[in-house]
Amino acid sequence: MTAADLSSEKQRLSGGKSGYRLRWSAFSGLLIALVLPVSGFAVWQLLVSSGFASGRLVPPPSRILSALWQLQQTGELSHHLVATCLRVLSGFAAGAVAGIILGGVTGYFRPARRLLDPTLQALRAIPSIAWVPLFILWFGIFETSKVTLIAVGVFFPVYLGVSASLVSVDRKIVEVGRIFRLSGFEMVRRILFPAILPALVVSLRTGLGLGWMFVVAAEFMGASEGLGYLLVDGQQLGKPDQIVAAILVFAILGKLSDGLLVLLTAPLTAWQDNYQKERK
Amino acid sequence: MLSLLSLSKTYPSGVEALSNFDLEIRPGEIVAVIGGSGCGKSTLLRVISGLEPATLGQVRIHGEEVTAPHPLINLIFQEPRLLPWLTVEQNISFGIRHLDAREQGRRVRGVLQQVQLQGYETRLPKELSGGQAQRVAIARALVTQPEVLLLDEPFSALDAMTRGSLQRHLLHIWRETAATIVIVTHDIEEAAALAHRVVVMRPSPGTMLEEITIDLPLPRNELEADLDPFKKRIRTALHRSLAYADGTDLMLV
Ligand SMILES: Nc1ncnc2c1ncn2[C@@H]1O[C@H](COP(=O)(O)OP(=O)(O)OP(=O)(O)O)[C@@H](O)[C@H]1O
Ligand SMILES: [Mg+2]
Repeated sequence: MTAADLSSEKQRLSGGKSGYRLRWSAFSGLLIALVLPVSGFAVWQLLVSSGFASGRLVPPPSRILSALWQLQQTGELSHHLVATCLRVLSGFAAGAVAGIILGGVTGYFRPARRLLDPTLQALRAIPSIAWVPLFILWFGIFETSKVTLIAVGVFFPVYLGVSASLVSVDRKIVEVGRIFRLSGFEMVRRILFPAILPALVVSLRTGLGLGWMFVVAAEFMGASEGLGYLLVDGQQLGKPDQIVAAILVFAILGKLSDGLLVLLTAPLTAWQDNYQKERK
Repeated sequence: MLSLLSLSKTYPSGVEALSNFDLEIRPGEIVAVIGGSGCGKSTLLRVISGLEPATLGQVRIHGEEVTAPHPLINLIFQEPRLLPWLTVEQNISFGIRHLDAREQGRRVRGVLQQVQLQGYETRLPKELSGGQAQRVAIARALVTQPEVLLLDEPFSALDAMTRGSLQRHLLHIWRETAATIVIVTHDIEEAAALAHRVVVMRPSPGTMLEEITIDLPLPRNELEADLDPFKKRIRTALHRSLAYADGTDLMLV
């Protein structure tokens, strides 16, 4: 090891300057990301406070926050929040697992792909909301139909991502596995799975995004709890501040859950030789 | 003993990449295969390694027919083909995961020293230079202690200095392991510097045109003058092989 290697190694171990720089760049990134929403809110608040706009249909931030605060005080907010999160979580888990399994099977076995893929692609072409009436007939109006709808929404991007990326794994590294005489299972575990991980993460993120989308649709079709219920309730009772408050919570939840997914999977894809990473 | 018995390979597309190729290779021998682009050199190695089934003929190692990748035969590709998600150390131990951890560690340290990459254990492939990556690929093959090492233009993407140093590495490894080596190249200098025997191939269909034995001791750094007549013979044979090219797709590089 050369002296340069050693000193860079030392710096990496101690966290040193580069660790500090990393934390600062994450922090400044957050600040930059907040510029647009915060200034937007500030301008709107000013317009309403100074009487240039009525704020009746688009409530100013102060009213949204107070609506949120009231919902929180009565315990309603956390109640609805938990209900919605549970639905998304269970729907996402079911859809993702099914997508990974079916995508894996069709990506790995050619006969299975020829048998299953055309049908699945045809099903994918159906707008998922179109299933709603059928799901209600099948599973009733309660949780099962809602979670199923979310799972369907999550399933397709995950299925497609896994299946397509498996098919396109570079023949060259598969040959490395063959030269070292990996069994079929080892080939999957040691070569194919790590190779598709980055694509899998992307498809999970897409799936999660759709999960948040479909939970609203599911809660529109009749729910007594959940953030979607707050939206419907706000519309029926003419409370725009409650609607915008719920929308705001959706935005925060969606962003947080996506960030969490990225954070959790980042170590798994750190090996990628990305040009964006180099630029930092 | 590695025997190639009238090997033929016709790709599904109809290209006759290899036809009636016969060669007996003694244990510990270094054979260089040289020829223009497209004359079937890579195909030859892929068939010997068991990656590609022969259409006709057989590959035998110690009398046993090779029909699939074989534990005693390892192939090093033109590109390093390291697994980008594994560190240098993990890449090298890729083929010996069935051994216990101590033996793995011992062997990895051994080959790291052979290719002189101690201290690079925890690097990722993206943090290596081209020559370092190719050395890791060589180490990954060596660590399984193969009897036969097949190399497909392993140094062609590297600059002259790195290439020379890796050629010396290869000879060093050959002396330590007594492996049988088949190296594909289109560099006359490389063939003359490394091989006991040089096989010149011709295209369409790919087969052997001439065999040139170089009975000079290895390494040959000091033997430049003695090598000249051999290089001349290789060059002449290569020019003859050009005549077989059907069109412009064959070039001497
Ligand atoms: N998978 C394949 N399918 C069909 N034809 C192929 C395939 N691989 C190689 N060929 C053809 O077989 C012939 C021999 O190819 P091969 O790769 O063995 O040549 P080569 O001697 O290694 O050439 P180079 O020096 O350019 O690497 C060529 O005409 C090539 O087009
Ligand atoms: Mg080739």
